[in-house]
Amino acid sequence: MATRLTSNAIADVVLPAEARRVTVIRSPSQSRFSIINSVFELARYRDLLYTLTMHRIKVRYKQSILGVSWAILQPVSMMIIFTTVFSLIARMPSDGVPYAIFAYVALLPWNSFSSSVTNATGGLVSHSQLVTKVYFPREILPISYVLAAQVDFLIASIVLASLMVYYRVPLTANALYAIPIIVVLIAFSLSIALICSATQVRFRDIGMATPLLLQLWMFATPIVYPTSAVPSRLRYVHLVNPMSPIIENFRQVILFAAAPDFASLGRSMLISGILLIASYMYFKRVEVTMADVI
Amino acid sequence: MIDLKFHRVSKKYRIQRDLSPGATRTPFSGLRGLTGKYGDFWALKDVSFQVTRGETLGIIGPNGAGKSTILKLLSKITVPTSGEIMINGRLSALIEVGSGFHPELTGVENIYLSGSILGMRRREISDNLDSIIDFAGVRQFIDTPVKRYSSGMYVRLGFSIAAHLQPDVLLLDEVLAVGDEAFQAKCYDRILELKDRGTTIVFISHDLDAVEFLCDRALLLSNGEIASGGLPGDVIRRYQQESNSERLTGPKTYERGGARNPIRITRLTFLDDQEREVLHAFTGGPLIARVEFAATEPLGDLDFEVFYYSQDGKLHCQFSTSLGADAINVDRGEGALQFSCAELGLQPGVYYADATIERRTDGQEIDWQYRSALLRVEPGKRASGSFYVPHQWRITQQKDAAARAPYFVARHYSCEEPETTNDDSNLPEPVAEWDLIRLDNPRCASEQ
Repeated sequence: MATRLTSNAIADVVLPAEARRVTVIRSPSQSRFSIINSVFELARYRDLLYTLTMHRIKVRYKQSILGVSWAILQPVSMMIIFTTVFSLIARMPSDGVPYAIFAYVALLPWNSFSSSVTNATGGLVSHSQLVTKVYFPREILPISYVLAAQVDFLIASIVLASLMVYYRVPLTANALYAIPIIVVLIAFSLSIALICSATQVRFRDIGMATPLLLQLWMFATPIVYPTSAVPSRLRYVHLVNPMSPIIENFRQVILFAAAPDFASLGRSMLISGILLIASYMYFKRVEVTMADVI
Repeated sequence: MIDLKFHRVSKKYRIQRDLSPGATRTPFSGLRGLTGKYGDFWALKDVSFQVTRGETLGIIGPNGAGKSTILKLLSKITVPTSGEIMINGRLSALIEVGSGFHPELTGVENIYLSGSILGMRRREISDNLDSIIDFAGVRQFIDTPVKRYSSGMYVRLGFSIAAHLQPDVLLLDEVLAVGDEAFQAKCYDRILELKDRGTTIVFISHDLDAVEFLCDRALLLSNGEIASGGLPGDVIRRYQQESNSERLTGPKTYERGGARNPIRITRLTFLDDQEREVLHAFTGGPLIARVEFAATEPLGDLDFEVFYYSQDGKLHCQFSTSLGADAINVDRGEGALQFSCAELGLQPGVYYADATIERRTDGQEIDWQYRSALLRVEPGKRASGSFYVPHQWRITQQKDAAARAPYFVARHYSCEEPETTNDDSNLPEPVAEWDLIRLDNPRCASEQ
């Protein structure tokens, strides 16, 4: 063997002697679906998830002059539009804080959700080349979009911090509640992303419908208006929409330095948790035939 | 030790029957797809085989036989409808090179991306990074976005990443046809190296030569079933026999305007110099191609041709009666036209042959048998380059002028003396050995 090796030969890095893993592939009707096995397999592919997430972030702003500033420009311009329309023109109440920061603080989690869902929906189809050529747990694709959206969230938070300094909004320990709220947000975004991306593989209608539905959904969520301004006969929307408590509570802990409404947050957490498990099972069910129908 | 096992594996695809491409799509016609008619297509039927550790198994067969389905099942891209597949160890697929490259990312970034997609850990990639870059020979451009790469660099980088996988079981597709010859040689070396080290390999290919060269055993797939298995040489021969007998009855017969042809090619066969039917010939050896035909009426003004294509569809050479002064005339009934070639120029490999009959005056094809036979050319006379040319040689030498020989030899060839011409007709033997001709011609010598 040594004679064949040239200077270009491949240096074999000796890997730790790992026991060979036996894989058995059966038809889906014969194999038991196990969510735990799927999660373990996903964990084995964590390097790919990391690489793909970084890839999303890098590629998004490559060859654009403004680069990462787009992550800030987008919510800021929305804030300016909303402030002009709803505050200067329509005189929308904002629970006693300046309208700009009132809208901006809600726009951050909303944008994270909306870009997660929009990007993830097309995520599998736009990678059909990969899906039909290489195996990896397919959920990595939508998950990477959801994680990348959180990075944008983080970048856009810099502006939130500056606005808070400018408007002298005090930050208290209650702001730490933002962490569990964001966890619920990610879980919920992930569920919707999994459902939409898996369904899009079969029915491209999902991709057309999501931007429209997201727009409607945004106005059904207290972003440009406070919950207190919603007439009581419309409150039920707030009850069935898991995004409402997420946004409301996020605003509460950041802007009003108050503890979250545990009842509504808990409800949202429960819905997101159940939905996440259900959507993951659905995704895994559809996954086996993805390469055949994509 | 069995590394890979297919146990009664079947795969069914659902294909939509009723939507013809021209059918109008009315609003909600997509809904019909939910309830509409589907047909079942069995890409694999009850296939069982196993591969032992360190063995290289080749899988061959015509298009649609189920080769790519096996590939997809093994690489877990799709799942079987019934049956069970067992893989012992880490399986890596060396399929379509450059999977997962993103044009905007640099070479290094793409190495990480594509490597992770192929199942490498980030650590593994970092450890192998230099080796990957050198193997691909793109060090100079490694921080350039790959969209600025030449297609050769792109492909080399893709292969180089895949070549650094450390699999227990390696799945090979038609990936060896990448890059220039030097790079291909490197790829072969890498595969042989993995083979030497005891990697179990499954090689799925159209390239019969590569299968014969690399594999210890081969399977022939046909219509989703295993038609035969055994030593690669035997299986390949059986495959050729089958395809030769099936080809002429195949659907791709060319018919002008749907009308019945006045003359039809019924069979294309190859014969050796003893006129025995053969499936293979040798480079530099004799070959006879026999075109059998049936004419329903006497016809004139015809030319017969046989074309040889390599497996990538490239036309290599042809036999043609159009080189002759007179067109061919045939009587009513069956007959055969034989082309004979004393020394075949094709290099070893597998070639498809087309046979045609056309009218000389307007070049109109009357019958065209598409890919109607397979010819395997085996190594005979060795020649480097893309083909063998019949050639002969002589050596001439000046007495006690050896030191200046190159100059004089060149000059002496230009002398028009019978001993020194290289006119074939004067040569006693077709050259398997060489003649030494002594130069004692005074006129040539005087030119010095």
